[in-house]
Amino acid sequence: MRRTHPLHIVSGLLLCLCLLAATARADDGGVALAVKPGDIVIGTAYTGTTLHFSGEAPRGSAIVARFTGASGDLALRQKGKAFGLLWMNMGTVHLHDVPSVYLVASSRPLADIGGTGLGLDAVRAGVQQEGGAAAQGPDGLDALDVPAELVRLKQHDGLYREGVGGITVTDDGTFSAELAIPSRMSPGTYTVEVFALRDGQVAGSTSAPVRAELVGAPAWLAHMAFDRGLLYGVLATLVAILAGLAVGLVFQSKGAH
Amino acid sequence: MNIPLHMYLPIAGNSVNIAAILGLGGAVGLLSGIFGVGGGFLMTPLLIMLGIPPTVAAASDSNQIVGASTSGTLAHFRLGNVDFKMGLLLLVGGVAGGSVGVRIIKLLRAMGNADFLINVTYVLMLGLVGGYMFFESLQALRAPRAGATPTAASGAAPARESLYERCIRSMPWQTDFPRSGVRLSLLMPLGLGALVGVLAAIMGVGGGFIMVPVMVYLLRMPMHVVVGTSLFQILFTCVNVTIMQSIENHTVDFILALLLLIGSSVGAQVGTRIGKKLQGDQLKILLATLVLAVMGKMLFDLLARPDVLLAYAGGH
Repeated sequence: MRRTHPLHIVSGLLLCLCLLAATARADDGGVALAVKPGDIVIGTAYTGTTLHFSGEAPRGSAIVARFTGASGDLALRQKGKAFGLLWMNMGTVHLHDVPSVYLVASSRPLADIGGTGLGLDAVRAGVQQEGGAAAQGPDGLDALDVPAELVRLKQHDGLYREGVGGITVTDDGTFSAELAIPSRMSPGTYTVEVFALRDGQVAGSTSAPVRAELVGAPAWLAHMAFDRGLLYGVLATLVAILAGLAVGLVFQSKGAH
Repeated sequence: MNIPLHMYLPIAGNSVNIAAILGLGGAVGLLSGIFGVGGGFLMTPLLIMLGIPPTVAAASDSNQIVGASTSGTLAHFRLGNVDFKMGLLLLVGGVAGGSVGVRIIKLLRAMGNADFLINVTYVLMLGLVGGYMFFESLQALRAPRAGATPTAASGAAPARESLYERCIRSMPWQTDFPRSGVRLSLLMPLGLGALVGVLAAIMGVGGGFIMVPVMVYLLRMPMHVVVGTSLFQILFTCVNVTIMQSIENHTVDFILALLLLIGSSVGAQVGTRIGKKLQGDQLKILLATLVLAVMGKMLFDLLARPDVLLAYAGGH
């Protein structure tokens, strides 16, 4: 979903400034990158956003842009057939090195430019698995390709994506790209990386951090929920009771005559 | 004026369409006001479909039910449909049963195959309860038309005394429950409350589904009083769950709960009015249909191959 917005004209102008301010030049291959906005601001009205980035890469190279979240552990329930009939959760799979978010866009299909190692294949290969089908064996569980299923699950959520498009590369090697960031985002530090590929090889790459921050009401609520659980719970129930009573009273006065 | 259509939920970590959440709350609140159930069986899976993590969906739903059941209890109280004495006894039993149930579930999980046992018990119970209620109320609805004496929704026991009736009459500490119009041993609501508490904890549901039939068939309460008393009882259960979840797991999303409960507390009021117009047996047959539909859905989920063979931990 890309919407043109009058603000984008302004942001286009600002981009030049940002290029000067936030340019990160990598040692190898000479890829320059500027990201805008530098931070993802999550307020009450946040519904996802679009990151714009631009820079320079060696001439004639294809561009791959990647947005990733921190890797961590993830416990998932594995579904299997109990007694060959009923599908249900049959066990827990513990996974390590699972990126929370993994969005990849490329100027040409990854397979054509020798960049499959940068896409979701890299996630499938990199995830470490413990338990589940491999360990449990003849427990009614089919042998399940857990990393592949993980990618499917995350793709359902819009947190993993791999696709062509959204990247413009000119003849002189400058590029501009936009990447849609999903609404399902947690605060934290994310990484934007740009790879320049030529002749099936990574000719250069660079990266820049992007912070996602809660602001305003969401920030305050998250602080209350995580740091003052008891007070938060009591307030949440009190407000719920008062709201229920208020609605009840409104209906009473309406129904009185 | 720019009215936002979406709102970001800080604990769920996603943004949702406000109108969808309000509508969902209204629909579930309506069922709650009519039948005296919490509606978690419907709400939690729908919230997960809207992109809310399962644990957050379940916890925020209980926060939301606090509002809906307050509104519903108030409406039923005005109609004289809440038996506080019975409700409190069921509640005491339910809390005790709930903590026993949590231990049992830990034990079952340690033994393995707990999910199979839970799923199968759940489907069987829904099927039995729904099926029995459906045919019993169908017969009761047909009886007056067939020319028999029109009787009240429940009670109206025939002359012969069943074994069950002799048993409950011989129990100690008999006491009157004037609101429900029954005379029972104090042990009955305490024990049955505990039983429902155990089952609800094991299955991870609120228990309204089991509690309502228990009150109708085992405590012999009139259907309308059952609905009001069930809501009264659910209110306390959900206050407890909301506070516990806030402390232990930090999974209550207050914004989500607030949006839901605006819808559901209005829905509960409308539901109460609809319920008032229906006879006890009509209410029972509708609830039975709902229970059977949920059972059908669960059975389908168990038999059909899921899209993705992995799921996030938590939820129901």
